[in-house]
Amino acid sequence: MMDPSLIAFYAISAFILVTGFMTVISTRLFRSAIYLLFSLIGIAGLYFLLEVEFAAAVQIIVYVGGIVVLIIFSIFLTNQGGASMPFPHLIRRNVGAAAAMAGAAVVGTLAAAYEWHPFPITFDTSMSRIGHMLVGTGEGSLVLPFELVSVLLLAAMIGCIVIAMKSRHEEK
Amino acid sequence: MTDFLHLLHHELLLSLVIVCMLILKLADRGRSGSSWSNLLNVLLLINFAGGLLIEAEGSLFDGMFRSNALLHFEKNVLSLGLLLVGLLATPYLRNHKHSAEFHILIASTLLGMFFMLSAGHMLLFYVGLELATIPLAALAAFNLNRGESSEAGAKLILSSAFSSAFLLLGISFVYGTCGSLQFEQIALTVSGNPLQLLAFTLVFTGFAFKLSIVPFHFWTADVYQGAPIPVAAYLSVISKAAVTLVFISVLYSVFGALQATWTPYLLITALLTIITGNLFAMRQDNIKRFLAFSSIAQVGFILTGILGANVDSEGIVLYFLLIYLFSNLAAFGVAGLISAATGKESILDYRGLHASNPRLAWTLTIALFSLAGVPPTAGFFGKLFLLTSGASLGNYLFIGIAALNMVVSMYYYLRIVKAMFMETTAQPIGKIPTGVAPAIALALCIAGILVSGLSGSFYEHIHLLTLSY
Repeated sequence: MMDPSLIAFYAISAFILVTGFMTVISTRLFRSAIYLLFSLIGIAGLYFLLEVEFAAAVQIIVYVGGIVVLIIFSIFLTNQGGASMPFPHLIRRNVGAAAAMAGAAVVGTLAAAYEWHPFPITFDTSMSRIGHMLVGTGEGSLVLPFELVSVLLLAAMIGCIVIAMKSRHEEK
Repeated sequence: MTDFLHLLHHELLLSLVIVCMLILKLADRGRSGSSWSNLLNVLLLINFAGGLLIEAEGSLFDGMFRSNALLHFEKNVLSLGLLLVGLLATPYLRNHKHSAEFHILIASTLLGMFFMLSAGHMLLFYVGLELATIPLAALAAFNLNRGESSEAGAKLILSSAFSSAFLLLGISFVYGTCGSLQFEQIALTVSGNPLQLLAFTLVFTGFAFKLSIVPFHFWTADVYQGAPIPVAAYLSVISKAAVTLVFISVLYSVFGALQATWTPYLLITALLTIITGNLFAMRQDNIKRFLAFSSIAQVGFILTGILGANVDSEGIVLYFLLIYLFSNLAAFGVAGLISAATGKESILDYRGLHASNPRLAWTLTIALFSLAGVPPTAGFFGKLFLLTSGASLGNYLFIGIAALNMVVSMYYYLRIVKAMFMETTAQPIGKIPTGVAPAIALALCIAGILVSGLSGSFYEHIHLLTLSY
């Protein structure tokens, strides 16, 4: 008799892989985006299974609610929402599939052959602990990368604005 | 608290400079492009001078951030490079609407490099690396009305996303097998089992993309050609130097136990990189594509130096990077001046440059001699030391091939010199106004090439610094 959580794990993993695969092979951009949405929801499911509710909530808010919506918006901006992309050439498809399978085989074999042993680390995934780690300065705290990410966001915003301003100047 | 200020002084000062630039931009009342450049270059000068003031050693945030005299020195070199790029960029930015944003973006990539250099933890390293690359994609697309430039930006962001994916997969396997992301902990637990070798290979691939090591170099020439010349110069010199320095510390200290694995990796990629870079550099007509392939070949020589992995290797590579910074910035600087004034970027247009612009021609000649490794320029000593470092492993066949490639590279570097001095054309480039800021930068570069070649104290200083850490 299999452990129910194991069954759930495999079911969710299969869901993620199938929707991920559909994201790649679908020729309509909009459908790809929707498949990606389901794949990302599946990953949130894995986080719930691991009982890291905070990461699961962030996954749903940021990826499902934010990034996929952004992707869909940008697809609409290109006015190509319903259009099909040209199907790649047969040789390119086969080579791509072969390369992907070879990569998966290497990673899979090595990961399966490795003697995994759990590290004696206990994870405290409570909200207060995560909050302390993000903006605290004590042991194992992550305030420095957290602050650095804010500079990255600022720079990315300025870069986007400079590039996106282009069209307005040209209209004038 | 004073500890905090001393150890982080480079990063704090640069962040302050970025915030100042932002506030100046927000309070802008129709300032012209060139007065922006002058103002921002003063800020970059303050940043460089301020960086020189303090030296401190220690670590912060539970070992996440480390600093010592060697890291301070490396950061000073990079700050100097940014100042030179800022000075050289003035003619390009004179008529650009977004010269303040250019400086903000380029300074924030330098901040990313600083954190990457000082990182003692994979997370900080990764965030620093992203900060050092993502704004560069916006900068590569800075020629807003040219499709070529947008293509460069898109290619840079896609290839950097691709390489980040490799790097992240590698890092996650490292975490899975070592149980920690702290560099010190990883170094203690790496044992070289097959999964860790895979993880290391993925991390190596990530670095190979960033350094444009063959066979991961495809983006380089297109990005350099499409990007504005100051950005191409920054990409080929400062961003490459920073990643190289981190690469050395990752190889030597974090994955030091896997030396038997990375020695053949480095050997093969160094050989491929030198040969491919040289072969493609020979047939380029566009000066930016030419410099792109020449910089690929130079990376091959840097890898040769890293390969040695003895006590002197790090100092040798750092010394070479310093010379490479001066030489390549001088070459890009001259190309940038000519491009900004006339829009000409083909090597054929350089015919007869000596007659109309003797100073620029001589500057470019000295820079190319240094890149080719002709004595008495510093490039000769740099290359010589790199090959000596590589030869310490005893693989003389490889060193022989590398040395032969140095001879091949003379051909294409001297081709430009020949075009400038010995050939003539019906439509020569007219007299080009240099401007004060670029002239200062070029003079500094030439002084750097000659002084670091003729005086041994530069190398001695670097050598002593690397020996103590």
